[in-house]
Amino acid sequence: MEFKLEAHRIVSISLGKIYNSRVQRGGIKLHKNLLVSLVLRSARQVYLSDPCPGLYLAGPAGIPAPPPQQQPGEPAAGPPAGWGEPPPPVARASWPETEPQPERPSVSHAPRVGDEVPVTTVTGVGDVLQGGEADATEAAWSRVERPRQATAGEAEGPAGGWGVFPEGSLAARRPCGCPLGGEDPPGTPAAPPRTACCCAPRPAEDEPPAPPAVCPRKRGAAGVGGGPAGCPAPGSTPLKKPRRNLEQPPSGGEDDDAEEMETGNVANLISIFGSSFSGLLRKSPGGGREEEEGEESGPEAAEPGQICCDKPVLRDMNPWSTAIVAF
Amino acid sequence: ILSSSCHTEADIISTVEFNHTGELLATGDKGGRVVIFQREQESKNQVHRRGEYNVYSTFQSHEPEFDYLKSLEIEEKINKIRWLPQQNAAYFLLSTNDKTVKLWKVSERDKRPEGYNLKDEEGRLRDPATITTLRVPVLRPMDLMVEATPRRVFANAHTYHINSISVNSDYETYMSADDLRINLWNFEITNQSFNIVDIKPANMEELTEVITAAEFHPHHCNTFVYSSSKGTIRLCDMRASALCDRHTKFFEEPEDPSNRSFFSEIISSISDVKFSHSGRYIMTRDYLTVKVWDLNMENRPIETYQVHDYLRSKLCSLYENDCIFDKFECVWNGSDSVIMTGSYNNFFRMFDRNTKRDVTLEASRENSKPRAILKPRKVCVGGKRRKDEISVDSLDFSKKILHTAWHPSENIIAVAATNNLYIFQDKVN
Repeated sequence: MEFKLEAHRIVSISLGKIYNSRVQRGGIKLHKNLLVSLVLRSARQVYLSDPCPGLYLAGPAGIPAPPPQQQPGEPAAGPPAGWGEPPPPVARASWPETEPQPERPSVSHAPRVGDEVPVTTVTGVGDVLQGGEADATEAAWSRVERPRQATAGEAEGPAGGWGVFPEGSLAARRPCGCPLGGEDPPGTPAAPPRTACCCAPRPAEDEPPAPPAVCPRKRGAAGVGGGPAGCPAPGSTPLKKPRRNLEQPPSGGEDDDAEEMETGNVANLISIFGSSFSGLLRKSPGGGREEEEGEESGPEAAEPGQICCDKPVLRDMNPWSTAIVAF
Repeated sequence: ILSSSCHTEADIISTVEFNHTGELLATGDKGGRVVIFQREQESKNQVHRRGEYNVYSTFQSHEPEFDYLKSLEIEEKINKIRWLPQQNAAYFLLSTNDKTVKLWKVSERDKRPEGYNLKDEEGRLRDPATITTLRVPVLRPMDLMVEATPRRVFANAHTYHINSISVNSDYETYMSADDLRINLWNFEITNQSFNIVDIKPANMEELTEVITAAEFHPHHCNTFVYSSSKGTIRLCDMRASALCDRHTKFFEEPEDPSNRSFFSEIISSISDVKFSHSGRYIMTRDYLTVKVWDLNMENRPIETYQVHDYLRSKLCSLYENDCIFDKFECVWNGSDSVIMTGSYNNFFRMFDRNTKRDVTLEASRENSKPRAILKPRKVCVGGKRRKDEISVDSLDFSKKILHTAWHPSENIIAVAATNNLYIFQDKVN
C-alpha cells in the first residue's frame, strides 16, 4: 500500500511541475515535461495496479512487472483506504478559475476535438460565459486567446502561446476578486475545484496543469485548452462548474453536479495523461495507448463523451477525484 | 534534501569553453553575457609562474526577447559557446541562447589613428575654412582595447529550445540542435539553414523522446552524433542522405531491470555527449553515470563510471526539488586519458581511464587559496562517517557543478560553480 501512497504523491508532484512549467520563463521545456509525464504515467500505473504494486517495481531482481492495466477502470472498488472522505471545500476552492473564455475561440478553432464534445456542453459554455468575469481574469484570458488564435493554424511552438505567462500575468490575475472567499459552502460535495481565484497561489496544488502541449490549437480545442488552468477538459464540462459555483452554488441537482465535477476533474487529468488515461475510464481493461504523449495529450475525442455519461465509471473515478483535490 | 540559492541569478554561469589553443576561456551566463579570459603570457622574469587567466573581454551577447506571436518569453541565458579555430588575428566564437545563434568577433585594437584633417582630437568636425594645411593621419599606440562585434545572427530556425551547437571540422559549417531538430548552417549564410535531423512525430501525442545533445566528429566533417532523452546515441553520416533521420549507428545499453523505478527514464536521459579528441570514442553523461563508448561497438559502452551512485536511493527527493533534471556536462582531457564531470556540493569528479582511479574534488573558496592543493573529498554512504568525509544528507544540492572545461593540451581545468569560476592547474611542472 505504501507504493500506492508513494505513487499518489509522485502524481501530485508531477502535476504540480507540469502546472508550474507553464509560467516558467523561457517557455515550456519540452524535454523536462516529457520526462515528468513519463514519471506521471509510471506512477499512475502503479497507483492503479493490483494491491501488490511492489511487483511493478521489480522487487525480486529481474522479475518483470505484471501489466498494471489489469483493472484500469477500478483502482479500488470504492475510495481507497484513507482517501474516502470527501475533500474539504477549501481544497476545491483552490482550483483557479479556468478558462471559460478561451473555450469559445478554441472550440471554434479546433473542431477536431471539439466535435466530440456533446452539444449540451458547448451550449453550457455559452451559458457560462454569460456570467460576468472578473476583469483581470478577462484581461488575462484575452491575452491567452490571441496567441492561441494566432497559432491555431500550426502545430509548431513549444509553448503554444499559453505556455508561458510571465509572472506579470499571474499578478494581473491575482486581484480578480476571486471566489476564494466565496468558495462552496461545506455542504457541496462536488464543488468544482476550479471555482477559486484564477490566481494560482499554490500552483502545486492547483488544478491539473495544462499538459505542456506543443500544439496550442489542440489544447484550446480540448476545451479548457492550454489556458493557465490548463485543464483541457474534453467537454466544457469543467468549464461550467467554475462559473456556476461562482454565481450560485449549485443546488438541487447537486448530485449530478457532483458527479460531473468528478468527471471534470478526471477530464482534466486526461489532458495530462492523454489517451493512455482512457484505459482508466473504460470499463474494460487494456486501457488506451501506452505511448508517451506527454505533450499533446489532447483528450481523445471519444473518451470525453463517455466520461460525461458513464456513471459506473464515475464511481470508479472517486480515488482520482480525491487525488486531484488533494493538490 | 534542501535546495536553496541566494545569489544574483543573472550571474550564474551556464557554459564554459576553452578555445582550440587554450589561450582563451569563455564563459556565458544566465544574464546573456559572455566573459572571455586570456592566459597571461609567461614572462621571462617569472619562468616558474604559470600563466594565469585574466579577464580579456566582456560583452552582452543575448538580450531577453519576447515572441509576441506565441506570447513567449525567450531567455537570454547562454546555453553554449563554441570557438572557431583561429585563422587570423581576431577570435571568433558562436554563442547561443534558446533560439538564436550569434557569431562574435573578438579583436584587439592597440593603435588608433591620429592627425585627421577634418576632425580634431576629440572627434569634433572642424570648419573646413580653417584648414590651411593637410597632413597624413598616423597610427599611434593606445591602450589595448578588446572589442566584440556580432558578425552574424542566425535566427528563426528553431521552434524548440536549442541545446547544442557544434562547429564542423570543415570550419565552414556548424550545426545547432534543439529538442526535435538539428540544422546545418553555413557561417556565411544567415537566412537559411539546412535541416538534417527531424524527429518530430506527425502527431505530437506520439512523442517519446527528444534530442538532448549533438556534436560533430572532430575529423570527419560528414559525421555527427546526437543523444536522446531515452539514453540512446545515434551516429549519422550526412553523405547517406539529405535528411539524416536514419542513423548509421545506434548506441544503446540494455536497461538493468533490477534498477527499475519511477525515475528510470529520467536518469537514463543523456545530458551531454562528447567525442574524444581522437574521434574514436564518445562519452555520454546521464544523471548518475558517465559512459565511454567505442564507435565500433553499439550494444554497450566500454566503460561506465559511477559519478554519485549514492543518489540512487534519493531519486524521489531529487525529483521533488527538480535536481533530477540537472544537466551535467562531461569533458575529456587533451590526451583522452582522463574524463571529468561535475556533481553536487560543488564536487567534481575525475576518472583516469588507464589506472581506473578516480578522485572527487571540491571547488570552493575555503579550499582554494591560490597555490593550494585540492584535497580529495569523499562522500560517506554508510553509517560510520569518518573525519573529513561528508554524509550524503549534508550535501548541498544547490551547489552543483554542471559545466566544466579542460584545456586542450595542458592540465588546466575550469570549473563553474553557480556564479563562480574556478581555474585549477596541475602543479606538476
